[in-house]
Amino acid sequence: MDFDALINGLDRHTLDGITRGSIYALVALGYTMVYGVMKLINFAHSEVFMVGTWATLGTYTLIGASSGMGVGMIIGATVLALLAAMLASAGTALAVERIAYRPLRKKGAPPLIFLITGIGCSMVLVETFGQVLKVFFGPPFGRVLVNVPAVLPTKVVFTIPGIDLAITNTRIIIIFGAIAMMVALDFFVNKSRLGRGVRAVAQDPDTASLMGVNQDRVIMLVFVLGGAMAGVAALLFTIQYDSTKFDIGFIIGVKAFTAAVLGGIGNLRGALIGGLVLGVVEVYASTVWDSSWADVTAFVVLVLVLMFRPTGLLGESLGKARA
Amino acid sequence: MIRSSRTWQAVAISAVAGLALTACGTTDTGGDGDAAGGDCNFKIGVMGALSGANASIVLPSVDGAELALKQWDNEDCDVTIEKFDTEGDPAKATPVATQIAGDDSFIGVIGGAFSGETRATKAIYGDAGVTMVSQSATATDLTQDDPSPVFHRLVPYDDYQGAAIAKYLTDELGATKVFVVDNSEAYGEPLADRVEETLGDKMAQRDKTQVGQTDFAPTISKMESAKPDAVFYGGYIAEAAPLLKQMRDAGIDAPFIGGDGLYGSDFGNAVGDAGEGAIVMCPCAPIEEDSTFAADYQEEFGSAPGAYAAEGFDAMSVFLAALDDGARTREDVEKFVDGYTGDGLSKEISFDENGDVPKEKVSYWAYKNEGGTLVPDVEVSPAS
Repeated sequence: MDFDALINGLDRHTLDGITRGSIYALVALGYTMVYGVMKLINFAHSEVFMVGTWATLGTYTLIGASSGMGVGMIIGATVLALLAAMLASAGTALAVERIAYRPLRKKGAPPLIFLITGIGCSMVLVETFGQVLKVFFGPPFGRVLVNVPAVLPTKVVFTIPGIDLAITNTRIIIIFGAIAMMVALDFFVNKSRLGRGVRAVAQDPDTASLMGVNQDRVIMLVFVLGGAMAGVAALLFTIQYDSTKFDIGFIIGVKAFTAAVLGGIGNLRGALIGGLVLGVVEVYASTVWDSSWADVTAFVVLVLVLMFRPTGLLGESLGKARA
Repeated sequence: MIRSSRTWQAVAISAVAGLALTACGTTDTGGDGDAAGGDCNFKIGVMGALSGANASIVLPSVDGAELALKQWDNEDCDVTIEKFDTEGDPAKATPVATQIAGDDSFIGVIGGAFSGETRATKAIYGDAGVTMVSQSATATDLTQDDPSPVFHRLVPYDDYQGAAIAKYLTDELGATKVFVVDNSEAYGEPLADRVEETLGDKMAQRDKTQVGQTDFAPTISKMESAKPDAVFYGGYIAEAAPLLKQMRDAGIDAPFIGGDGLYGSDFGNAVGDAGEGAIVMCPCAPIEEDSTFAADYQEEFGSAPGAYAAEGFDAMSVFLAALDDGARTREDVEKFVDGYTGDGLSKEISFDENGDVPKEKVSYWAYKNEGGTLVPDVEVSPAS
């Protein structure tokens, strides 16, 4: 145990944790929104994220982006990749809803069927990238880790004086990008007309449809929004880690789901808080002991939080509108 | 409604029937070569990860074995090679071993390619008296803690590898502050333990990571305060690549060294530019580009020989030599292999009582990643 290392570099470790947690939080939004509206854990959401990372790679490959380009090209390539990732992830999420969940809903299937269907969709997507696409197109598809070009080179933008903490461009983009997306989403759900529909269905689906809210539309919207957030997370992930893999979504998905529960599933702001807390706790634990303790510590914290606040830090409340 | 479900039933039944037929088709192959054989009509099994994430470490050795068989010149015998894909998974290897052990036409097995599947199947082969010659299973316990009379391998075990890596770090790189990281699992952790033990006070700090981890920020910040002059990682490609990238991103320029878990063509692809100059240690001797083996291999398979290709070739050659010598039963083969000495492609081959190649004939090579390919750099002998 090395508490000195934690105390001495507390600022640095907190920053590392927030960077890690920002990505968890963005993915967590997808779990939380779908749960809020449908009371369903969409296990295919981790693969929605995975598809986004591949879309980023695909965009870079198509436009021939590589490390060491000019500033204009970097911005152009990144924006294109962002759009592609959001589109691909939102499209995947929508496809999962239309192809897998909606027919079940129409037949009034019990909740367990939805869960196992989600797991099935997740496997189909994983194997599509790990096996099927490889058969048709060969590498980079397959079961190996794939390098994504570091289009945006990591550079120190400024150093916070006094504590000597170097802030890099990628960190700024990840943390502010994630927070900006979440503020926008929160605003959309709480202030816009469509968002009111989402909250209405979350509160009481039957009454909402009596009031003229189209439930199917709202559910589609929720999947698209959650998918788009996962797409943003996918781009930020590739900026930070420069790689992807057919099963890259699995661990991120588990962590994001944990973050959603920690913050209070069904609660957008809870997803943000849950993601950041989880990221910071993991990095602290990895510093005090080592990375093999990160998960243990994170789940101990989760259990402790749920003991005292069984509905998570902020409680379950997509429906209970406070706006 | 009823109609459509009938149709589906018909489709399902014919699909199942089709599968069953193809399954029969595959099991039948290999037994149809009686033409030249006479009393020498045998099969040799190959067992390993022929598909999946780790296939690039295994496939070249299978090609090597195939090449050896193709080049074999013996009129009296008819030998076929039969490949079994275990995906490197011990649970999938066990039924394969039972199948091979139960079929008397198999006189030997090349493999297992990995330690886990070897550990799981050694006893099955042992009971049936099927000789195993592994091209790449390196776990120490396979021969040291629990030796089996039928198990032989052409590569040294992991204890040597740890010593060789430590020697490279101190003697070749002159490192005095090595940062040792492992992946907390059966391959990486003991290897890193051994490196740590040999390095002694030349190790600056030890850290552990997890399989499947992508964010290594805590490890990076430990490196930043330890200021190492070299970094060793015990583990596999999927975690080594992001770790190395994040090190370079953070401006840590210390040389990066990995074990044979990184030896495979996928490493260069996964790590990209950040991997330039990274060192991968492997008990596999480089194959000279202008050798006849390299040329034949290139002609046969359209690529340069990859990981353990020479060891695969040697494993097959040992079995073929047994048949040349007149061995016709599993017992004959086992006896011959135990006493075998010969000049293989990878090294001078002989087996001690545990089935290991003798220590003094073992050498390690440091390969340098240059532009995505692993280029042999320097030979390190762990013995001295």
